[in-house]
Amino acid sequence: MSEKKLHDDQKYIDGLAENNTFIIKAIYEKFAPKIINYIKQNSGDAYDAQDVIQETIITIYNQAKQNKLQLTCPFDAYFFLLCKRKWLNQLKKSNRKEVTIDDDVLYKDDDAQVLSFETSIFEHKQALFDEVFLQLGDACKDLLKATFKIKSMEDVAKSLNITYAYARKKKSLCIGQLTKLVQASPKFNRLNY
Amino acid sequence: MEEQDYIQFEAFLAGNLSKDDLVAFNDRLHSDAQFKEAFEIFKDLNSNLEHQIANEREIFDFKANLDVISSQHFNAIHDEDIIIKPNPKSNFYKYAVAASVVILLGFFVFNQFGGPKYEEYNNFDPISLTVRSTDNTNFSKAEQSFNNKNYEEAIRAFNAILEDDFTNLEIQLYKGIALVETNQFEEADIVLNKIMNGNTAYRNKAKWILALSYLKQDNTSESIKILKTIPKGTEDYVSAQKLLMELD
Repeated sequence: MSEKKLHDDQKYIDGLAENNTFIIKAIYEKFAPKIINYIKQNSGDAYDAQDVIQETIITIYNQAKQNKLQLTCPFDAYFFLLCKRKWLNQLKKSNRKEVTIDDDVLYKDDDAQVLSFETSIFEHKQALFDEVFLQLGDACKDLLKATFKIKSMEDVAKSLNITYAYARKKKSLCIGQLTKLVQASPKFNRLNY
Repeated sequence: MEEQDYIQFEAFLAGNLSKDDLVAFNDRLHSDAQFKEAFEIFKDLNSNLEHQIANEREIFDFKANLDVISSQHFNAIHDEDIIIKPNPKSNFYKYAVAASVVILLGFFVFNQFGGPKYEEYNNFDPISLTVRSTDNTNFSKAEQSFNNKNYEEAIRAFNAILEDDFTNLEIQLYKGIALVETNQFEEADIVLNKIMNGNTAYRNKAKWILALSYLKQDNTSESIKILKTIPKGTEDYVSAQKLLMELD
């Protein structure tokens, strides 16, 4: 993927990561109408579209912030596929009416398929990561929060009144515990590891 | 994986492995699929924790900003939809229109006597929280109480919501209004100032509410000071200008 040329639309990804109001507004103006139409034609309304679009944008933001998103296709195709997949999943869950239109033919762009799929996986991962974090004991939670907030492990150790060596070891083991919880989850197999 | 493996993962990510250990580590990544899988998960977890915890403030600002832009974009669309086919979900727009008429009438009637009063300006639009969160009783309780001007009850419901979602700026803003309504000015000051000094699109709304709070406390000079900072083109600019003229 790294050899492929970045698409000019990477500006939307970077703009989201920077919380650039101008870019976010542009995304709504340019790309939302098509998604609203699609959802309205498939058992939804504008409120559903509003939620789907907002959640999708937050996922893209999270992925972009972790520097894990390099757009090699038009944003339009990528974004549409993501919103569409999210909406279809919701319909499936709520057992609403059958979907009538399948627009996949619109986007033969392989990169858009691959990238939007990766973002969906990213979203599943993040949801599961958040879920398992809540299962940790308080000692691990506090240590991890301090670790990632304070940065310097020396200061973390000082703030928790433990030794530097112990703080480091404990951090590794806490994330190790999360790793095991992730692997043991029934949702693990859809994360594509 | 053994404890030692996780300690190695961490050391690798921190760049703390010695040259020899690094070679051995990379060899094992290639030859041991389980080791590799566990490492990939560990690495993603690490990156996710770093993002969520270290960028907490930025994520909060982003979501608030997105919320405002989304509402701005969709309000026009929802309005259109209501004209075309009435949507039972969004009756509140009708009330909003009715409320606006009442506000206008209010201006004409009250303006005949003396200086401006808080009560001429506190006709807040009904809030709508249940569209997106259908099953949450706190949200519907908050919405109903607020719209029925039962602000004490609304504050209790807002607090319950904020317990789970303390970064919810929209709720904080409504809570600010309810606090002013119930004369809890000090707490209102804290809530509204926090929103006002943040980098989100709610900040101008917070200014307007705070200006009204000072108006209610007969602190004209502070009210004027804040009103002057509400920029042109924002939702409350016209009302702010009108109030400014009356106060001057």
